[in-house]
Amino acid sequence: MAKSTQLNRRTRAAVELAQAENKSQYLAFVLGGEHFAMDIRAVKEVIQYGSLTEVPLMPDFLRGVINLRGAVVPVIDLSVRFGRPLTDIARRTCVVILEVGEAGHEIELGVIVDNVSEVLEIGPSEIEPAPSFGTTLRSEFIAGVGKVGERFVILLDVAHVLSIEEMAALDESANR
Amino acid sequence: MDMDQVKQTFIIEARELLASMEEALLTLEDQTDPSESINAIFRAVHTIKGSAGLFGLDPIVRFAHSVESVMDRVRSGRLPLGPELIGLFLECHDHLVAKLATVLENAPEHPDCQKEGERLMTSLIPWLGASIATIPSVHPEVSPRREGGKDYWHISVRFPPSMFQNGMDPLSFVRYLRTLGQMVSLHSLLERVPTGDAFDPELCYLGLEMDLETDVDRKTLEGVFEFIQDDSRIRIIPPHSKVEEYLSLIQALPEEEHHLGEILVAGGCITPHDLEMALQTQRTEDSQRMIGTIFVEDQSVPSPVVVAALEKQKRFQDKAVNEMRVVKVAAEKLDNLVNLVGELVIAGASAQALANQAKEPRLVEATATFNKLVEEIRDNALSLRMVQIGETFSRFRRIVRDVSRDLGKEIELEIQGAETELDKTIVEKIADPLMHIVRNSMDHGIEPTEVRLARGKPVTGSLSLNAYHESGSIVIEVADDGGGLDRSRILAKAMEKGLVAAGADLSDAEVHAMIFEPGFSTAESVSNLSGRGVGMDVVRRNIDALRGTVEIESYEGSGTTIRIRLPLTLAIIDGFRVEVEGTCYVIPLDTVIECLDLGPFLESEENHLINLRGEVLPFLRLREIFALSGTKPSKERVVVIQYGEVRAGIVVDKLLGEFQTVIKPLGELFRNLKGLGGSTILGTGEVALILDVPQLVNLASQRTRTRTPILS
Amino acid sequence: MITFEHNQHTLRLWGDLTIYHAAEARSRLGEELARDPELEVDLSGIEELDTSGVQVLLWLKAEARAQGQSLPFTSHSPAVLEVFDQLNLAAAFGDTLLIAPNA
Repeated sequence: MAKSTQLNRRTRAAVELAQAENKSQYLAFVLGGEHFAMDIRAVKEVIQYGSLTEVPLMPDFLRGVINLRGAVVPVIDLSVRFGRPLTDIARRTCVVILEVGEAGHEIELGVIVDNVSEVLEIGPSEIEPAPSFGTTLRSEFIAGVGKVGERFVILLDVAHVLSIEEMAALDESANR
Repeated sequence: MDMDQVKQTFIIEARELLASMEEALLTLEDQTDPSESINAIFRAVHTIKGSAGLFGLDPIVRFAHSVESVMDRVRSGRLPLGPELIGLFLECHDHLVAKLATVLENAPEHPDCQKEGERLMTSLIPWLGASIATIPSVHPEVSPRREGGKDYWHISVRFPPSMFQNGMDPLSFVRYLRTLGQMVSLHSLLERVPTGDAFDPELCYLGLEMDLETDVDRKTLEGVFEFIQDDSRIRIIPPHSKVEEYLSLIQALPEEEHHLGEILVAGGCITPHDLEMALQTQRTEDSQRMIGTIFVEDQSVPSPVVVAALEKQKRFQDKAVNEMRVVKVAAEKLDNLVNLVGELVIAGASAQALANQAKEPRLVEATATFNKLVEEIRDNALSLRMVQIGETFSRFRRIVRDVSRDLGKEIELEIQGAETELDKTIVEKIADPLMHIVRNSMDHGIEPTEVRLARGKPVTGSLSLNAYHESGSIVIEVADDGGGLDRSRILAKAMEKGLVAAGADLSDAEVHAMIFEPGFSTAESVSNLSGRGVGMDVVRRNIDALRGTVEIESYEGSGTTIRIRLPLTLAIIDGFRVEVEGTCYVIPLDTVIECLDLGPFLESEENHLINLRGEVLPFLRLREIFALSGTKPSKERVVVIQYGEVRAGIVVDKLLGEFQTVIKPLGELFRNLKGLGGSTILGTGEVALILDVPQLVNLASQRTRTRTPILS
Repeated sequence: MITFEHNQHTLRLWGDLTIYHAAEARSRLGEELARDPELEVDLSGIEELDTSGVQVLLWLKAEARAQGQSLPFTSHSPAVLEVFDQLNLAAAFGDTLLIAPNA
């Protein structure tokens, strides 16, 4: 069974602190050698990759389902969602469990990433809008570009990347 | 107790009563002795009136009173109950339902609703007979007080037992009330003080019946009891009240005070002297006579008062018996229990798997015993949620009656298997699809009268609803003796819509199944009921969602039967585990007939047919249907499945055996998934997918028909 | 506070017959009734009576009747009379209402 890193108490305290300084917290992770980050408020926990059951006849980005403490949770391959090849499963591969969807209709799902690196604090002044070109990623997937020291990191727009409506529709077209 | 909660209970009970009233009205005409039904109708209206009075729901009280008055004439045989009056009572029933709805919303009555109420009350007047001029005072005017005299408030209180413990004393209420006006009479009810050891000096047993002459308003009087109103029984009857107010008081009195005489005295309808006289009469005369009849004969009380009191006595007795047998439980609690039992089943399977691995005989035995018990608990928990389908069926009596009249057809509804039980969640979800099917049968199935006559059929069309259990599932049938499905018209329509290729050779079942396709409708005229091409595809979707199947048996000219097959429950299934390409899949056990090695093939393997003891059996390979990578093993196995009339083989790599499991839905992302009905968690903690056998077979036959190359 | 004074066949109650002493009064009165079949209860010393006290007295009266005893209540104090009046209890007890001499 996957080992779970609860982000709960400690992170929540840090989130509150950051909010006090008007900064937001982002979970930084690596995917296919690139650095990304996403708003930590959507993140519930990070678990080690393991025991995934593939669901046949589903588009490739839907890697399968896992058992998360008795609940069956779908797992998305973010790399495929970005139009890139399947993520290779390695020792440090993680599944980030997120809660997405409209208020009242949230669902839990997991996304596969190569590894989770750190929690970043980024203030509004350090975020640039999404560049309209120069990235291979669809622009609506990008919430902005954060500057951390000398580094830049792409901040994902989780609501768009993991839009249930859109993903379910993709599945429909894949099924035809 | 919360007032809203009490009101909820009132509404629930009133709805139940109204449902029984409707049922009684609709079955009246078929009965040789309708007196029991007539009594049931009267009781329903009467009880609703009484309870509504408690909540000050005057519009309901007034309306119910009018209905009750007419009903009373029917009951006493002064008025025959013909179709016209039944129709009127049905309308009154509907109106009461509408009135209840406004109570639920806590909204004032809609003007339309009010108007409808007035219209119906006016329609009721002619049925009241010449002797009675006005509504609602249909009872001969009996003044509640013989003394005539002053007009005063009647206040009836039963104090809560916990009164003293909460630091309160009824005395202070009496003292205070006396400051508000003149206490004309006060009667302390102390009968509830127990004798012997049962007496608890720290509990309050007191009740009071008071007549108070005062100028203060109702609000002020109610305010007096504000702190105890939650658990007391308080009733305040204003001056100039009519007999029915006292009737409701009788209804409201605590049940332990069920002696008729006392109730009548306390209610102020008769004096203790009247009671004494009556008791004497009873003693001297035939002791078989009930006290109620004596009052009526002596003309001292209008008969409805006695009826109410007698009914109350009877209800008290009935209730004492029923309370032992039935406990009402919130549905949510049951659902939680069933969910927990589901988790228990999974945990049990997990323990069993570990024990088998450990190969420790005593542990294996212990877990086996444990799992047997879990299985029993599961069955018991599920049976708690089982309800009879009868109530759902009964609703159709009304629909058939109304719709057949609208259509100008004579249709008779026959109900069978009303006592068949199935899971409450399924019952709730099947009502709508059933409604579509029934309406469809009445609209398109049963022919207009002229056509029936021309075909030599009886004028009255017959529609039947039937339910029964069959091998682990429940079957619901809707059958009509109408014209049957028109094969050629359906086929033509299907070709027009591009659903089948021209010249395709389809079986009757395949043609009939077309009516469940989206946008399919062959009705030449669009009626307001069905025929707009929505409906039957929704029916199929709803039934699919319940893991059920639907099939049609139709004979041109003689009728159609639509058969819905549903699982007994949605939460838990017995499954059969199989393995393909290292992944475990679960086949619902109730569809599994047998398992064998694959072969021998008929002619060539490409035909996907095997010879099963001389019978031709089509098969599908899961690895092909699911487009799984990898190569098939040298020795494959086949699971023979059957649902309805369909029999097929599912080819897998390995057979892993039976186990019981909880179904976990796969969720929104997988809404277009075909061939899989959900998932479950294995003893190892891994997720396994549950096959949806009918969908899988459909998927395979579609591919064969459209000649999509099957991957191998 | 309630005290009981048993003199010959008369049991005299002093003090408050209220919820605070209802349990005590009930058991004591029950015992006295069992001991003396010719008992009379003198209520002249009652300074305060509430509904729970009324219930105890009613219960006592019913117990006595069940055992075939008459158990008269005598010398009702003003406090007792006021309560009997408020709740219209005179008939329920059936005693002659004698006003206590020291009232």
